Amino acid sequence: MTAGNLDATDSRTLPGFFDALADGDLLGGVCADCEQVLLPPRPACYACGSRAVDVEPQSREGRVFSYTEVHTPPPAFAADAPYTVAVVELTDGGRLLGRVAADYADVAIGDSVELTVREPTAAEREVALDYETDWPVHIFELR
Amino acid sequence: MPEPVIASVGASSLGRTDLPGRDLFSVALAEAFDGLPDPAELVEAMYVGNQSESYEHQIMYGTLLAEWAGLRHVPAERVEGCAAAGALALRHAVKDVRNGEHEAVLACGVEKMTSAGTSGATDALSAAFDRALEQRSGITAPSQYALLAKRYLHETDATERDLAEIAVKNHANAARNPRAQFPKEIDVATVLESAPIAPPLKLYDCAPVGDGAAVVLVTTAELAADLDCPQVRIAGTGASANNIAVAERDMTDIAGARIAAETAYEEAGIDAAAVDIAEVHDAFTVCEALLAEAAGFAPAGTGYQSYQAPAERADGWTDVQLSPSGGLKARGHPIGATGLLQALEAYEQLTGGAGDRAVEGAETALLLNEGGVADAVTVGHVLTTAEAP
Ligand SMILES: [Zn+2]
Repeated sequence: MTAGNLDATDSRTLPGFFDALADGDLLGGVCADCEQVLLPPRPACYACGSRAVDVEPQSREGRVFSYTEVHTPPPAFAADAPYTVAVVELTDGGRLLGRVAADYADVAIGDSVELTVREPTAAEREVALDYETDWPVHIFELR
Repeated sequence: MPEPVIASVGASSLGRTDLPGRDLFSVALAEAFDGLPDPAELVEAMYVGNQSESYEHQIMYGTLLAEWAGLRHVPAERVEGCAAAGALALRHAVKDVRNGEHEAVLACGVEKMTSAGTSGATDALSAAFDRALEQRSGITAPSQYALLAKRYLHETDATERDLAEIAVKNHANAARNPRAQFPKEIDVATVLESAPIAPPLKLYDCAPVGDGAAVVLVTTAELAADLDCPQVRIAGTGASANNIAVAERDMTDIAGARIAAETAYEEAGIDAAAVDIAEVHDAFTVCEALLAEAAGFAPAGTGYQSYQAPAERADGWTDVQLSPSGGLKARGHPIGATGLLQALEAYEQLTGGAGDRAVEGAETALLLNEGGVADAVTVGHVLTTAEAP
């Protein structure tokens, strides 16, 4: 796969990735040379430098790798605090940061979670850049 | 190849100040050039580390500070790499002197962080994270480092009390540093009982928001000798970028910092055991533990013992003393200036200017300055007054 003719329908671009995510499909780049999973997909593999990156659907299930609770949010998210954030290791090997729809006290390293997707709220649209306005938001839910 | 040296240093006061960035720089510059010819008679190029235009709505910091230094028509540029901007500026100066292009280069850093309050600083710093997935999840600098800390406590024997002890040690060092933002001792209970910011990190695990500027004059050894300046050799420099998203990195082996340190050691012809003092990027207490391991001072999983006396630490630890200035935690962390404040501390330690916080017999220092979360970018420098090997 070459990146010379990338356009916004290509899932190695952010618009392409979020279009698929809005339909519930989590796409990852998978390096054809070293099998590294890249979230979101992109033209090159950071692990080995290869530009032979395939795009493949990724499992939305995974386990909490690390987590915390945000008490001092950026101004745009002040109304949500405190909220839980985690790094999740997905079943297919990629790792992704996101909010967790659970209280901090109810989460532990190793917990099973599933990635869900929702439309941005009015408040989120308010602080979005023009091209981000319709991008969905991903949330991890405890299973 | 000319070997660059630090010939002089200066800094503004640190913390909440009533001076804008350019004026903080003027204070730092005046200290650095006290007793020297004017900058216009010496300086041939200039680099300015500066994190964000959102504090003062000001870019073009290279041009602005060159003008304020009385330097028109020199090459001057702002260097950006979040909190590593200062060491990136120093690295550019080192390369210019090494390659023979210039004999005297000014490496500067400045940040006016208090202009928009804590929420303004939180917002400005969040721009260092991946916009698409991290920023939109509401992650912050403390919560990013909390993810590292949670994982570090999970994988090692370290406890929240150990992290608190690192803060206590760095405050004790800062209490002997007249430049420090927080020159006062604290106890472990103060840290453990402080407000939750992002568990396991509490308020006293976090470096403060503050203003500041620092200036480091990098010259050839010959010029420093002509100027009769105490000089410290910049014997090695290394730098490494890593993934912008911490989720995609190894969260306890800080690979970018390891590579930056090893590259700097190799250039200097030393190994980690030769380092007497280290100023590492302790933006949060856990960083000092992680960086002690990445720099080769401590075996994996034991870096949290950095607060202990060398004889009490685990086997395999070196005798290095970490953060004699008080570190980012207590000396202060005006983002773009931090890497140069680290160099300033090493210069004072190695030239007999560190007063009663001097580490006895110190000859060689490692600096590790990071930007983004942990090793999104790391810059390492080896500074020494020892003879070249
Ligand atoms: Zn690869």
